[in-house]
Amino acid sequence: MMTTTIVIRPSRRFPLPRFKELWEFRELFYFLVWRDIIIRYRQTILGVGWAIVKPILSVVVITFIFNKLAGFTSEGIPYQLFTLAGILAWNFFSQGVTAASQSMIYNSNLVTKVYFPRLIIPSAAVLRGLVDLGIALLLYASLMYYYSFSPGWQLFLFPLAVAWGVMSCLGVSLWVSAIGVKYHDVAQALPFFVQLLFWISPVGYSSAKVTGRFVLFYWMNPMAGVIECFRYSLLGKAYLPANLLILSLAVSVMILVSGIINFKRMEKEFADVI
Amino acid sequence: MSNPIITVNNTSKKYIIGENIHGRGKRTLRNIVDHRVKRLFSEEERRKSREETTIWALKDISFQVEEGDVIGIIGRNGSGKSTLLKILARITEPTRGEIILRGRAASLLEVGSGFHLELTGRENIYLNGSILGMRKAEIDRRFDEIVQYAEIEKLLDTPAKRYSSGMYMRLAFAVAAHLEAEILLIDEVLAVGDIQFQKKCLGTMGDISRSGRTILFVSHNMEAVSQLCRKSLLLQSGTMVDYSETQTIILRYMQLSNM
Repeated sequence: MMTTTIVIRPSRRFPLPRFKELWEFRELFYFLVWRDIIIRYRQTILGVGWAIVKPILSVVVITFIFNKLAGFTSEGIPYQLFTLAGILAWNFFSQGVTAASQSMIYNSNLVTKVYFPRLIIPSAAVLRGLVDLGIALLLYASLMYYYSFSPGWQLFLFPLAVAWGVMSCLGVSLWVSAIGVKYHDVAQALPFFVQLLFWISPVGYSSAKVTGRFVLFYWMNPMAGVIECFRYSLLGKAYLPANLLILSLAVSVMILVSGIINFKRMEKEFADVI
Repeated sequence: MSNPIITVNNTSKKYIIGENIHGRGKRTLRNIVDHRVKRLFSEEERRKSREETTIWALKDISFQVEEGDVIGIIGRNGSGKSTLLKILARITEPTRGEIILRGRAASLLEVGSGFHLELTGRENIYLNGSILGMRKAEIDRRFDEIVQYAEIEKLLDTPAKRYSSGMYMRLAFAVAAHLEAEILLIDEVLAVGDIQFQKKCLGTMGDISRSGRTILFVSHNMEAVSQLCRKSLLLQSGTMVDYSETQTIILRYMQLSNM
């Protein structure tokens, strides 16, 4: 008979994630994503339709405010297509971070009763947003058809843009979910900061508008790079200076790596303080 | 003689409770800052916080369990029984010590905690099985058995929120009873459900132990413990008082309680 030997010891101060174990628990990950998708749309009238309705309403309002009132333009591309690319990336990010920040508390009955790598919980909250993104892409395709706009070869870069979006969202999510277990202040403060970040992300305008001494600060927002990359891959045109892109990417990587380290450090206390 | 399936060496668990009790309120950022500032300026606060900050829920526990044994863990409320199971289940970490498990351990702490009321019985079986560490293929294989055991054939596709509490309990226990782990950690399953259901649970646990698996069983129900467990472990305020034949242990427990 094959037996697995498990040794339980107090962990080190900064434990490393065990990727092999995460892989062994992939089915649980899949079931948590599946559960949340089912529950979210059960007993709703529109159901999955919400994934279409929300971006449509966002396009209408943002077009009105940024394009009609403030006069931002989109350099030859239909403005609705221009902003929807940003909205898709932004909604994925903001919904992912918000869901992840509540995910540990929401699953506290699991955290205090059963063992599994806790990283699964916020990751599942982030990745289930890909389903909404996929549905919203159908809307994007129909809007492209309506404006007779055909995407170029850059479309093949779209998966990379999404991967970067996942990375940014996961990094921030790991920070807020781990801190949120201990300090419930996160639930209060987060929506406000996400709201603030919206204004300094290039959703309704092009980041080319940002010049002068704020440029470096502006591009430290990982979503600046993600949104411009969404735009570039879907529309074939965006503001993407290499040095600023690298800055934005470097910040994303730093947030993700430090987020994993911090999560693993705080993880051992979760069941005791939640 | 083979190696014991569970070896617990000098295991202790310390809880930090200071900033969460005695009228200080929750561990919010504001309360912590407030508390730290007070501590900085007042000798009285410093002394109080030293006394209140830690509690040893388990102190230097060592014991071994042979494969196939059913061990009862008894003791009064707050004696550390549940903490011990939580450490064995890897839900929380020991502060000191080392534990070696030679097999998969599954915890059955409060059956049904992984259930979701909006999901149907069928969906809950898959979700809960997966939470308890079963593979999807394993659940597929044992699905019919689980449904039959829980006696919910007719309500398989009804959301769990429409179940009676009895049905809910039966389904939850059914999933857990069909786990294929070598070690089962069971905490007070018998506190809920009617007498018939409790009998069924006890019967199942007897079957599980006869199939050669190892069970650690926390309970206040001495009758159940003496029926199921050959050996038992007695805890009192975090220390292990004794570990031997169940009858001896129950007697000692009675003596301790009457003191």
